[in-house]
Amino acid sequence: MPSELTIRCRGLGKAFQLYAHRTDQVKQLLFGSFHRYYQEFWVLRDVDLDIACGESIGIIGRNGGGKTTLLRLLCGMTEPSRGELTVAGRVAPILALGAGFDAELTGRQNALVGGAVLGLRRAEIIRRMPSIAEFAAIGPFLDQPTRLYSTGMRARLAFAICAHVDADVLMVDEALAVGDAAFSRKCIAFMEEFRQRGTLILVTHDMSQVKQMCDRAIWIDDGGIRASGDVDEVTRLYQQAIDAEADDGARFYFESETDRALEG
Amino acid sequence: MTLPVPRPLDRASVRIGTASAAATPLATLVRPFSLAWRFRELIGAVLRRELADRFGGSLLGWLWAVIGPLITLGLYLLAFLGAVHLPVASAQGSPSHYALSIFMGLIVFSAVAELCCRAPVLLQEHAWFLKSSIFPSEILAWIAVFRALTFAGVSVVVFLVFQLAITGALRPTFLLLPLIIVPLCLFLLGVAWILAALGAFTRDVAYLMATFVPLMIVATPVFYSIGDLPADLQLVAYLNPVGAVIEMMRSLVLGGTAFPFIAYGVFCVFSLCVCRIGYSIFERYKGIALDAI
Repeated sequence: MPSELTIRCRGLGKAFQLYAHRTDQVKQLLFGSFHRYYQEFWVLRDVDLDIACGESIGIIGRNGGGKTTLLRLLCGMTEPSRGELTVAGRVAPILALGAGFDAELTGRQNALVGGAVLGLRRAEIIRRMPSIAEFAAIGPFLDQPTRLYSTGMRARLAFAICAHVDADVLMVDEALAVGDAAFSRKCIAFMEEFRQRGTLILVTHDMSQVKQMCDRAIWIDDGGIRASGDVDEVTRLYQQAIDAEADDGARFYFESETDRALEG
Repeated sequence: MTLPVPRPLDRASVRIGTASAAATPLATLVRPFSLAWRFRELIGAVLRRELADRFGGSLLGWLWAVIGPLITLGLYLLAFLGAVHLPVASAQGSPSHYALSIFMGLIVFSAVAELCCRAPVLLQEHAWFLKSSIFPSEILAWIAVFRALTFAGVSVVVFLVFQLAITGALRPTFLLLPLIIVPLCLFLLGVAWILAALGAFTRDVAYLMATFVPLMIVATPVFYSIGDLPADLQLVAYLNPVGAVIEMMRSLVLGGTAFPFIAYGVFCVFSLCVCRIGYSIFERYKGIALDAI
């Protein structure tokens, strides 16, 4: 792999195994070599993707298209079902903001655990705590259990932690939707500054953000890359498609056999 | 627009992060340990949280970790000093010696039992964490083992204080305890990985453990010692690794003698195998296990 690539995927695919009954999963474990007890639902299929060091990528697409699954694969949260994936450097995923917090722990303790998950030394996190506190700007709530936090406060703290781990790759999944305008501005300023030194992958439905921050756009649709390349071109195609396609449930259907199995 | 459904491959290849992917046999063998070393800070952070959590909401806090074993030992002393005499040979000597011997058996047994009952639900317990952050699921087993050993360690200190108070002296061989604890730790790690991987797919593993583990106290030399058994049963009893550990710890702490080296060597090799095989099983099923929980 050439050294300037941060992310390289070849034929990357992710299938979930759908079981009609929970017990089928055990049968699959025991007798899997003789019979298949599940239906496969391919969320992503044959994704080939090269992302160079320092690039900013905007990922767009409709709900259920596979954007979040792609990010989850890239940061190692989920294992791919097939294909090759190589990611170099430290990844800081800002997905499902604050969902990884322990409700009983204070914000400060969660920052210690969260920082350790991202590979930071304890002493280092403690040294950066004032800066994290300043970025999150949640005042005395930093020393309260996170169950008392509002969604926005949780998102603030989660973003603040990820912003302080010296990541090489930052993955942001619709993170700015919950924050207020002031916080969004702060996050955008941070991402603008980050793209000077690292690789940024941004999932969003806000086309203006993609145009403002990304060098390249990737349109994920129906589990594959539908278009990729120049930001203006891809967002224009996407906009056109959205205007043309009906917003009905048809997009969410998979194998009809699976439907029957799930109903049965 | 539908793409053709790809044929499922046997394995996907993933390399994330800066870790070297050297696949020398030695690196493969020690992978469970190199991984734990890489995430030592994280293990420490989560372990601290879990230990604080256990007594967090109580007034007496950590005293409970001491009070529990104290009450247990006190009751056994009372019972075997006066009331009861079990019809096994090891109960015929000094009653305080017998009470201490039971206590040592219970310390080990309850550590193993806690782990066996908890391991099958380990992934489910941390599901929110595993699904929403890049938490490496392998190290949950390390955390669970260290947690069980911490409580056992508190009990061992209580044990030694009592032994000093009752008999007036400690056997110097108790300093060799770590020699047994290290392979025990490896054994427990392997068990935790296997149970956690299986437990993610079916609740039956958790139910099986909840039923089976308390029964094992009869098949484990807790209230008796292996020497009390008829000769042909002794060999069978040594097949129970927990029993072997209890006997080795007793001989160090109570007997003041070293344990048989052959038995120890066998136990070390066995533990290492359980640990490495357990890790392989966990690695193999980790991906679908995380999708299943």
